[in-house]
Amino acid sequence: MRKSKESIFKNKLVWAVIAELLILAVAGILEPNFFKIEFNQTTGMLYGSLIDIINRSAEITIIAMGMTMVIALGGTDISVGALVAVAGAFALKFLRWDVTQYPTPGDYTVKPFIFVILVPLVICTLMGLFNGVLIGKFKLQPIIATLILMVAGRGIAQIATNGKQFTTGYTPFRFIGQGSMLGLPFPIIITIVVCAAVMIFVRKTAFGTFVESVGINPSASRVTGLKSDRIIMIVYTLTGFLSGIAGLIYSSRISSCDSNNAGVNYEMDAILAVVLGGTSMTGGKFSLTGTIVGSLIIRTITTLVYYFGITSESIMAFKAAIILVVIVIQSEPVGRWLATRQARKQKVGELHG
Amino acid sequence: MLDHDVILTMKGIEIQFPGVKALDGVDFSLRRGEVHALLGENGAGKSTLIKCLTGVNKMDAGRIELEGREIRPTDPKNAMDLGISTVFQEVNLCENLSVAENIFIGRQPMKRGQIDWKEINRRSAELLERFHVHIDVTRPLSQFSTAIQQMVAIARAVDVDAKVLILDEPTSSLDSDEVERLFDVMRDLKAQGMGIIFITHFLDQVFEMSDRMTVLRNGRLVGVFNANELTKLDLVSTMIGKDLDQIFDLKRAVQKEGAGEMLRAEHIGVPGKVEDISFSQKKGELLGFAGLLGSGRTETAEMIFGVSKAQDGTLTIDGRTVKISEPMDAINNKIAFCPEDRKRDGIIGDLTIRENIALALQARRGMMKPMTRKEQDELADKYIKMLAIATPDAEKKIRELSGGNQQKVILARWMATDPDLLILDEPTRGIDVGAKAEIQRLMLEMCENGMSIIFISSELDEIIRCSNRIIVMRDGKKAGELNGEGCTQADIMRVIAGEKDGETA
Repeated sequence: MRKSKESIFKNKLVWAVIAELLILAVAGILEPNFFKIEFNQTTGMLYGSLIDIINRSAEITIIAMGMTMVIALGGTDISVGALVAVAGAFALKFLRWDVTQYPTPGDYTVKPFIFVILVPLVICTLMGLFNGVLIGKFKLQPIIATLILMVAGRGIAQIATNGKQFTTGYTPFRFIGQGSMLGLPFPIIITIVVCAAVMIFVRKTAFGTFVESVGINPSASRVTGLKSDRIIMIVYTLTGFLSGIAGLIYSSRISSCDSNNAGVNYEMDAILAVVLGGTSMTGGKFSLTGTIVGSLIIRTITTLVYYFGITSESIMAFKAAIILVVIVIQSEPVGRWLATRQARKQKVGELHG
Repeated sequence: MLDHDVILTMKGIEIQFPGVKALDGVDFSLRRGEVHALLGENGAGKSTLIKCLTGVNKMDAGRIELEGREIRPTDPKNAMDLGISTVFQEVNLCENLSVAENIFIGRQPMKRGQIDWKEINRRSAELLERFHVHIDVTRPLSQFSTAIQQMVAIARAVDVDAKVLILDEPTSSLDSDEVERLFDVMRDLKAQGMGIIFITHFLDQVFEMSDRMTVLRNGRLVGVFNANELTKLDLVSTMIGKDLDQIFDLKRAVQKEGAGEMLRAEHIGVPGKVEDISFSQKKGELLGFAGLLGSGRTETAEMIFGVSKAQDGTLTIDGRTVKISEPMDAINNKIAFCPEDRKRDGIIGDLTIRENIALALQARRGMMKPMTRKEQDELADKYIKMLAIATPDAEKKIRELSGGNQQKVILARWMATDPDLLILDEPTRGIDVGAKAEIQRLMLEMCENGMSIIFISSELDEIIRCSNRIIVMRDGKKAGELNGEGCTQADIMRVIAGEKDGETA
């Protein structure tokens, strides 16, 4: 049988990969050292821009795994950034160097360490469930439903820490964001594990197909026996949990919590990563691999900009310009145009060949 | 007729789609004041020809002339400006806007730089009067039935000074009264000299309304005929190019002696929609549901399947009293349901044929027990073969299929769950004669194998031809019950009209 295949120019994942490679190529031409990776004997870690890009993209990549399915369902979750702050606040609440009690650094009030990890994750998961119930059961519009926690989340984080910024020097906690394993920064290891777990869950069970089905046609999905409200709740809960993991990584990187600035604009970056990866905002078919590439593109641009010493004020504009190009190339009319051109060339080739 | 009567000619139209030639040298001509039926099975190229005329699809070869001048429509708006107006099968209006806004959208009359609402509302009401539709034109379109929406779409198309009007399946969602009204309007327009291209699957209507007919098959022109030249049977065989015997030689499934009871509904209802419905169905029985649109046929089916929850009464399946509050409950009781609105409630457009077929079975097995790719492939290939679904392979998106083939995929989805009771709500609406006969034959075959089927249809002849018993609905209530054997259309109509209550079989 002949297999139905779309032109590769219509495949957005292909474009995302091409875009990423092009950006890297530009970096390589301008600065040959860009690709240099060194092994640091003392820390036992690999160093280099490429490693740094993957390391620093960890938080967005992890959140965007959940966001991909949120968007596939035709929704959005704008509370993820606030949840990053919540996770950090609760982690540091149970783990801090209290200056008044312990004047010398090195002494800590540490609740059992497992608490420090589990409590923030449970709280973020419950917040995700809260979003899911509002959207799945009460049928609120996703952007409105998640707006609630986007605002309230930072408030809750403030309350948890009494409005203070705690810092910590506790090594096991700092390991999450700053440690290394197998020569790689630990956040990369976490990202690989999380992405693999999500992908296995989604593609090795029927969950992915169910999400796509509900995203494409909720009414028909219901008539076919799918429990769409349950699927919606699972997706938002998962996204909450993943935001919690990202929050732990972030607060561990900076060894503190910052309810006002942690995770700011993460929702936008996560959505952008999903869209760059080729998943449509209208819902339906999604690509987790695409999302990972999308997240890498965002981080590569940022790194590139820093690397060449472009002033921080112009970073946003620079980022926007590159993203604009990528998204326009991915857009349907351009894809169709390229596909017809390709078809014509083939036709001409056949005639002459 | 003289040549100058010709208003539109299409010559040697060719359109190439990836892998197939959708149109291959098709000619078509339309005269002033003529209703010209465009006929053919699904996939024959009718829609493609229309899309070519309205600028949706680009021709690879060919020439279109309107009143002797060559035209090349670039998009529907452009075609409309040229004088070619179309009413599509699926009403494409904005449901959240008012009726009047829908009629005048994009060409609102202005007064002192502002939209002249008074004028819009007045002219809309006037226009609809011509169709004998008397409604409040300021209310949102969504508040009206599909039939009214269809009328609004036609009113809009007619009001733009069209020379050519294309009606693509305009009657598939109308009841017989509304069809008559539409025909009156068509006669009016015809008398004014408008050329009308009429696409429909209802052959009676073709013979009632059209002057000439053009028949297409597999993207090629079969012939152009005057309406009085052909009998209905001739036309059907011309359309499908197949022996007629196999189509009309359908025999009602034989009711097995002493078959147990499959389903018993006692006084089920949703207040305000359908009330006090009681009936029973034997195993292997084909139970027809007749009645006008909106008489409660669909609502009854939806209640049994849990799409809407029955508030009153009890439902007994295979001797067990069951509670069905959502579709999954029904699926677990081995009930299956092909809904009336295929596009809204049936197909998952962007998923492949394979995924669409596997979906219901997968939903029942649960998320954690995924079917392997191999199982899915086998399932899909099996049904593509069994139901003769026209597709190169199982990986095509379902929305790219024709209506009849989409319907077959939905049927396959439910056959894959191996149901005891299959509910089919208008399974043959909007699909061509060939596919229709195939679906009817399949139903009867499944009944022979012991499956019970509830068959809802607006076409009385197919209800009578297939059903063992017929339940007639009127105004949300059961109006009567008739035996399939020996029943005539007039019998059913009398019950619908309320002249007499049907005797219980």
